[in-house]
Amino acid sequence: MLKIEQLKKRFGQIVALDGLNMSVEEGTLYGFVGPNGAGKTTTIKILTGLLLPDGGTVTIDGIDVTKEPRKVMEKIGYVPDFFGVYDNLKVEEYMEFFASCYGILGLKARRRCMMLLEQVRLDEKAGFYVEGLSRGMKQRLSLARALIHNPSILIMDEPTAGLDPRTRFEFRQILKELRDQEKTIFISSHILPELAEVCTDIGIVDQGKVVLEGAMTDILSQINVSSPLTISIKGSKEEALSVLRSHSKVETITIRQEDIVVNFKGDRQEEIILLQQLIEAGTKIYGFVRERGNLESVFMEITNHEEERLVLLHEDQSGL
Amino acid sequence: MKINPVYKQETKVSARSFRFPLVIFLFNCILALVALLDMYSMITQVKRTAEIQYSSFLSLYIFVATVEFTLLLFLVPAITAGTISGERERQTLDLMLTTSMSPTDIVLGKLLASLSTVLLLIVSSFPIIALVFIYGGVMVKDIALLLLCYGMTALLTGSIGIFCSSSFKKTTIATVVSYCLTAALVIGTVAVNHLASLLLRVTAVQGGRGSGNFFYLLLLNPASTFRTVLNSQIGSQAMLENFFPWLLYKPESLIIEHWFIAGLGVQFALSVLFLRLAVEKVKPCKRMR
Repeated sequence: MLKIEQLKKRFGQIVALDGLNMSVEEGTLYGFVGPNGAGKTTTIKILTGLLLPDGGTVTIDGIDVTKEPRKVMEKIGYVPDFFGVYDNLKVEEYMEFFASCYGILGLKARRRCMMLLEQVRLDEKAGFYVEGLSRGMKQRLSLARALIHNPSILIMDEPTAGLDPRTRFEFRQILKELRDQEKTIFISSHILPELAEVCTDIGIVDQGKVVLEGAMTDILSQINVSSPLTISIKGSKEEALSVLRSHSKVETITIRQEDIVVNFKGDRQEEIILLQQLIEAGTKIYGFVRERGNLESVFMEITNHEEERLVLLHEDQSGL
Repeated sequence: MKINPVYKQETKVSARSFRFPLVIFLFNCILALVALLDMYSMITQVKRTAEIQYSSFLSLYIFVATVEFTLLLFLVPAITAGTISGERERQTLDLMLTTSMSPTDIVLGKLLASLSTVLLLIVSSFPIIALVFIYGGVMVKDIALLLLCYGMTALLTGSIGIFCSSSFKKTTIATVVSYCLTAALVIGTVAVNHLASLLLRVTAVQGGRGSGNFFYLLLLNPASTFRTVLNSQIGSQAMLENFFPWLLYKPESLIIEHWFIAGLGVQFALSVLFLRLAVEKVKPCKRMR
């Protein structure tokens, strides 16, 4: 469906994309995440033909975006991180205008517009002026607009940025519906728990390169996410602390009321051995849990640069 | 028939806006005021001298036509300079560029919508221009030529406005630059000729009276075409020649003989060039972030 190979883009001295490779299969909901300045928006602008790359190829359904942009435009629906609305235009007129931009006219256009407005729960607002809609409604309208020509792939850049939790939830529900209809969706977002809930695949980009890509379930199970072990202890913690301090796989120890939170780098087998050692040392343990890895922890693990860590450490030490 | 979507949407939106009827109202108010004041001064003269000078009615035509031409020069850049930059400011340009529409469709749609507004302004001013028919002296063909001249002026200044609008992100800057370019064509070409005539007079080349081949620069000037139309209809009033004597000493050539047609041709070519450049500026892949 979407294939990106060795994509490169520079803005003066700044390298935005440094040989980015990526592949999105048909029917997947692909989450595209990365820290600020990682190259997400640049990639999306190149995908939508709004920016020319310095090198590499981008193909959608086998059509090169840079060589045949007009053909590609018929295959993509673009939802940017802004609304882009006209004053003095009603919701249905806004939709019909964009339908006519794709050559969809008359009754066919009207039917398609109403169907999509219904899908994004805006059918009751069809006669309202666009400028009078709330932020969330405008974003749903933006989604309906992007679907007007029934595109092969929907490209969304931070679509839920700045929306309240209820609107984000509604938007997520619509995305789930589209995913269930096997629509290919490429979505960039900073709200990782949301992506984890709806995405089937994920690609993490950092410093202009994809550093991790694959099915969401595989990634969460494969990556050693270093989630801490939470050991709940009744009574004295001294024996437990003594065992933990002498263990080679224990990196940090934090005490939180009755719990000891341990950054433990061992695998499942080593966890069992540690538990045995703690019990043998006479600790009264009533809880021994390693938190499940999530997208946020994967993201933090992968994009956690040494220099950033040093800055954070310096800020911490200097009380900034 | 498939209508350009941008044109259709623009006309719908502008027809709903309060600005549109206000512009038509003010435009016609100014023209009507000028015409009525001119008629009033003529009638006062008749009362005073008991003599009717029919040539005065022609001066009414010249006056009203010139005011309308000047208003067009001021209005068209203002109308067109915000077309593309306004889309950028509203963040709708990227949305349009990611549809099946080509940049040429977008630019032409914008131009057509602006020209429709101008056409409506011109048509709405017909009753005032038609005052001259009461007394005669001007034929329907003359009015048609005048309209053609207005149309070309609107096309040229509109193309300049759209080019500036596509070149600058801010509408304010685009409007200022549009006015500067229009002024360069209308006043700049006259200034160059005037300077050239002064220089040639000093060096005494070509008898030292005309502006030499610089005269052809006036082909770019819509005011020059407008003056030719009026002169062909009512004869030279020799008013401008008092200020610019070099106008009397034109080089002799086929172009000078067919100045109106040549002027329209050159201005049309210039409009096409500005529109082509505007399309290039709008093309998404050419634009940087």
